[in-house]
Amino acid sequence: MQKITLVPKEQFKISIEAETITPDNFAGKSAQDIGAMIAYEGNTPRPLSELFDITVDGSADAADVKIEINGNVARVKRIGEGMSAGEIVVNGDVDMRCGALMRGGSITVTGYADSWVGREMRGGEITVKGNAGFYVGAGYRGEPCGMTGGKITVFGNARDYVGEHLCGGEIIIKGNAGILPGVSNKGGKIIIEGDTDMPGSEMTKGTIIVKGTVTEMMPVYQNEGIETVDGVEYTKYVGDVTVDGVGELFVK
Amino acid sequence: MLIKDVICPFCGCLCDDLAVEVENNKVIDVKHACKIGAAKIRGHNRIEAPMMRESKTDEFREVSYDEAINEAARILVDSKRPLMYGWASCLCEMMKKGVLLAEEVGGILDNTASVCHGPSALGVQEKGIPTGTLGQFANRADVVIFWGCNPVQAHPRHMSRYSVFAKGFFTNKGRKDRKIVVVDVRKTDTAEMADEYVQVNPGEDYKLLAAFRAAVADKADVIPDTVAGVSKEKIVELAAAMKGAKYGIVYFGMGVTQTRCKYKNIDIAVSLTTDLNAYTKFSIIPMRGHYNVTGAGQVFAWETGYVNGIDMSRGVPYYNPGETCSNDMLMREELDSAFVIGGDAGAHFPAQSIARMAKIPVIQVDPFHNPTTEMANIVIPVKVSGVELAGTAYRMDSVCLRMRKLVDVDFPSDEEVLDKILAKVKEIKGVS
Amino acid sequence: MSELLIKNAVVYDPINKVNGEKMDIAVKDGKIVDSIGNGADVIDAAGRLVYPGGVDAHTHIAGSKVNIGRIMRPDDSRLNNKPRTKITRPYTGYTVPNVYAMGYGYAEMGYTTAFEAAIPILKARHTHEEFEEIPIIDKGGLTLFSSNWMVMDAIREDDLDRVAAYVAWGLEASRGWGVKIVNPGGGEAWGFGKNVAGLDDPVPNFEVTPRQIIRYLAEANEKLNLPHSIHLHCNNLGKPGNYTTTLETFDICKDIKPKRDRQAVHLTHIQFNSWGGNHWGDMESKGDEIAKYMNKNDHLTIDMGQLVFGSATTMTADGPVQYANAKLLKARWANGDVELEDASGVTPLSYHPESYIHGIMWAIGLELALLTEDPWKVLMTTDHPNGGPYVNYPDVVTLLMSKKKREEAMAKIADLTFERTSIATIDRELDWYDIAIKTRSAHSKILGMVEYGKGHLGVGADADIAIYDLKPDETDSTIEYEKVKAALRRAAYTIKDGAIVVKDGEITATPMGRTYWVKSTAPSDAHDRMMADLKMKFKNYYSVNFANYMVQDEYVHNPVIEECGYA
Repeated sequence: MQKITLVPKEQFKISIEAETITPDNFAGKSAQDIGAMIAYEGNTPRPLSELFDITVDGSADAADVKIEINGNVARVKRIGEGMSAGEIVVNGDVDMRCGALMRGGSITVTGYADSWVGREMRGGEITVKGNAGFYVGAGYRGEPCGMTGGKITVFGNARDYVGEHLCGGEIIIKGNAGILPGVSNKGGKIIIEGDTDMPGSEMTKGTIIVKGTVTEMMPVYQNEGIETVDGVEYTKYVGDVTVDGVGELFVK
Repeated sequence: MLIKDVICPFCGCLCDDLAVEVENNKVIDVKHACKIGAAKIRGHNRIEAPMMRESKTDEFREVSYDEAINEAARILVDSKRPLMYGWASCLCEMMKKGVLLAEEVGGILDNTASVCHGPSALGVQEKGIPTGTLGQFANRADVVIFWGCNPVQAHPRHMSRYSVFAKGFFTNKGRKDRKIVVVDVRKTDTAEMADEYVQVNPGEDYKLLAAFRAAVADKADVIPDTVAGVSKEKIVELAAAMKGAKYGIVYFGMGVTQTRCKYKNIDIAVSLTTDLNAYTKFSIIPMRGHYNVTGAGQVFAWETGYVNGIDMSRGVPYYNPGETCSNDMLMREELDSAFVIGGDAGAHFPAQSIARMAKIPVIQVDPFHNPTTEMANIVIPVKVSGVELAGTAYRMDSVCLRMRKLVDVDFPSDEEVLDKILAKVKEIKGVS
Repeated sequence: MSELLIKNAVVYDPINKVNGEKMDIAVKDGKIVDSIGNGADVIDAAGRLVYPGGVDAHTHIAGSKVNIGRIMRPDDSRLNNKPRTKITRPYTGYTVPNVYAMGYGYAEMGYTTAFEAAIPILKARHTHEEFEEIPIIDKGGLTLFSSNWMVMDAIREDDLDRVAAYVAWGLEASRGWGVKIVNPGGGEAWGFGKNVAGLDDPVPNFEVTPRQIIRYLAEANEKLNLPHSIHLHCNNLGKPGNYTTTLETFDICKDIKPKRDRQAVHLTHIQFNSWGGNHWGDMESKGDEIAKYMNKNDHLTIDMGQLVFGSATTMTADGPVQYANAKLLKARWANGDVELEDASGVTPLSYHPESYIHGIMWAIGLELALLTEDPWKVLMTTDHPNGGPYVNYPDVVTLLMSKKKREEAMAKIADLTFERTSIATIDRELDWYDIAIKTRSAHSKILGMVEYGKGHLGVGADADIAIYDLKPDETDSTIEYEKVKAALRRAAYTIKDGAIVVKDGEITATPMGRTYWVKSTAPSDAHDRMMADLKMKFKNYYSVNFANYMVQDEYVHNPVIEECGYA
């Protein structure tokens, strides 16, 4: 086991881009090594030792690395980007693109995760205990696929465009989601336990389950009647008909 | 002296048939232009000299160009996240210098599209865009749809030159050869003169466009009785009219780019247009506002690969609207300085953003006093592009023309100012 | 540095019939010279491969199509990213590079000249704005005339001289080098969403046929004594069975006598037009039929349009094809019709070896090059970025030079490909001389650039030289293809106008290149007739004024102008 603790030294205002904070990068490294790694505050490179108090306990491969971040990192972006194994726990809020391109391992955020958490995720698991921003588990502009694998759970609410361009994997929003969850989906599964609007626009394949209220349905779904899923009754819709979609949309 | 074939430096119509009477190096008459274009060319009270102030509540004091330029350079070099915003009222030649400066200072390069048609670019990135040059529409279109735009007010000569009254090769009866449809949340002046006005509930264009797609695909059975305040009957009828066109064109504006769903409205409008191409010929085009905002997007794209919201801080351009555009950053108080040129942030940004801008050093390069001047610390007046300076601009349909110089003035061009700032920045940084 | 001596170069310069000779090359003031004094800088090529700087006669590098490709594809711009250095601006983009990567990428491979394949006259200023920002390479462009109202009206009235007068004027208005024809007539039909079905299908509302458009433009081309022949993208591109249209098209200019020592017609990316079968299901290669024709006829040249697996961005003036692709693949589609002039479409897509259709397309490009006996008749191109990005040229070279490499590639390609094409049976392996022809000498000759010192290393030529890090005498190109590919991808030296711009595959200097264009003249009475028609069209149909239309001098900073005209 290797445990690394990072405590932010300041309240960052201008975002720090810290894609260097991953179990893969920290595995087997000393506090000094880690301290020398560079993050960016806007255009200015800053070593991690300047930004965080760093303690390292033990040494291990990525899969056995745990990184704990204690403090306000609401302005630290790209934590866990591309990681393949290991664990990151953020006790606080986290900035955009947390866990983008993640391939394995797990990230837990106890507070708020800003937009694009899990962008283009391939595998692994992200848990957000608080709320999340826009584009949970979504893609990058122009790419046909966003998330292709893995699992994201948001205990609070999420903003618009949950799972945009979802091609695989699973997203669970325990609270409410903003508009247009599952837009342009080609696969995967989205469960929204709260309310949402206009789910599944331009979905070609995949599953969306909404347990709360949908005030605005897209006018492009075929109502197929009542269906029970895991013991709960839903109205099942198939569509989006304008893209010859066979996506399944279940609304309670 | 009458200068003919003058190109108007105001809106995206880029009318190039103006005639300007110049005497003693002054514009005394502007013919053929609309009122706002004429006003721009005639000019108004301009900023006479560079000025600076420490605090935004102080009075400005007049300074030399060198002093203003040097201080601007110092601020940019000292910044970790400088914004370089505007560009849309500048000529392409100087935008290239702007890209270079943004690279050199590792800042954010953004243009007015962020508060205007930036969403249209995002829609294009999802779906593409079936479009053409304005003459194509003038010569061929028999079904003309204005969606969320009001050319009578915002693009006054658009209808006579391109979209409604123009007589073209296949449309030689002009207005009589066209069916004009307006879709908007209220009955605008353009709606008043249309053949058909469709009132859509505010913020519900997206659903209406989706319903149109279903109707066009002969899947109207899934459409509810009313969508966005429009009856299913009307939707089916209009879908049929669109499919029955010889050539359909959709002009769209802020009514869809800056309302709920934003870029998804454009995305789905493009999809509808593409769907219609299976039945007949249909095109779509954004009604660009500033006369060279299209040029800003073009120049940025060929230089960096992206149209706006470009973050240069990591040495490689990064683009992600929602993260890297001006207001995205201002709302998070992420910028530590702002350089505003050829764009009026003070007039167009939301109040919260302006409040944030008031807390950081702001450098303005502009011939005219405007709301941005109110929050500036350094103001550098320059030639009016397209009136006092010749150079390149791109019309809303990406046709590019060379703007003329009509009069001589004793101000530097914005390009000269940028060159000097760049030189000073390099000097301060110790690079060659 | 005004004097340079390259010693011990193993030179392949087919225009001057130099075939692997070890020699010294003397350079002075940017040109190849006979000899120089003792004070020259010296590069010891040490027996390495030396070619004239690469010349690309058909590639989409600048202008509105390329830029809409960039705007539409942040997913592409995020690839191939290199941060700025003291010498270079940032690189972005793989299929649609930014202007900097565009120039650097070519130079890194030892290329020094590239020609933009299609300039729409109304948007030519844009093309030149981008040209002016692409570093290092020399450029020119081919101007579109194929669905142009001025051309079609003059043809309908059987006024060849007026066609020529418009071509002359259009080349000047666009600062173009030659006449480009794309899906002739189809661009106008596409104005209402239609296409032309074959060479004798009249263009709606204009009553002229594609055959007539090709013929009149070819004759006008010769009357004007233009350096390049007409450059033609055939009708029915991308449709199974189109090879018959292609062979018919080949015959159209058979009896045209070129004024200059070159082909009467150059037909481009013929891979896309060499398809047999009747539909996707029975599609097959007719590359062998095309090659057969090439072997029997001397009035034409072609270029491959080779497919490269992976991401591509298709962009042509063939509006109908771009739409058809987008519809079939459910891809993004940007259409850009230009009033009175032409169509265009941009559609991103990917080519996959698991698809037998793509496998057949891949095979056809190679068949065309390998089955045509005379290497001067078939240029190596990928129709960048339609078949694939130009940075893959070294890979295509290895496919032409090594059967083993082809077999390695074929092992990953859908089996059905080999029933539908003859690629598996071809043994021919091109050598260094052949490759020089296909990547520089023939490009220059076909374009008419030899007298401008391009594509060869004779005395008087521009000192555009590529030195590659391999010794031809010690390398078996039929086996060591990985080494060949690596060497061609990153030149040991690229020299432009006598100055080193690339060393070990890295940019060392970024001078700006020249733009070559043609100023030609037709008889004044024809010119007057043409102008009367043109002014009428500007008055009634164009959305810009005549006075604002032509590209101005300010957009071409380093012009080289060929002047020519009627005898």
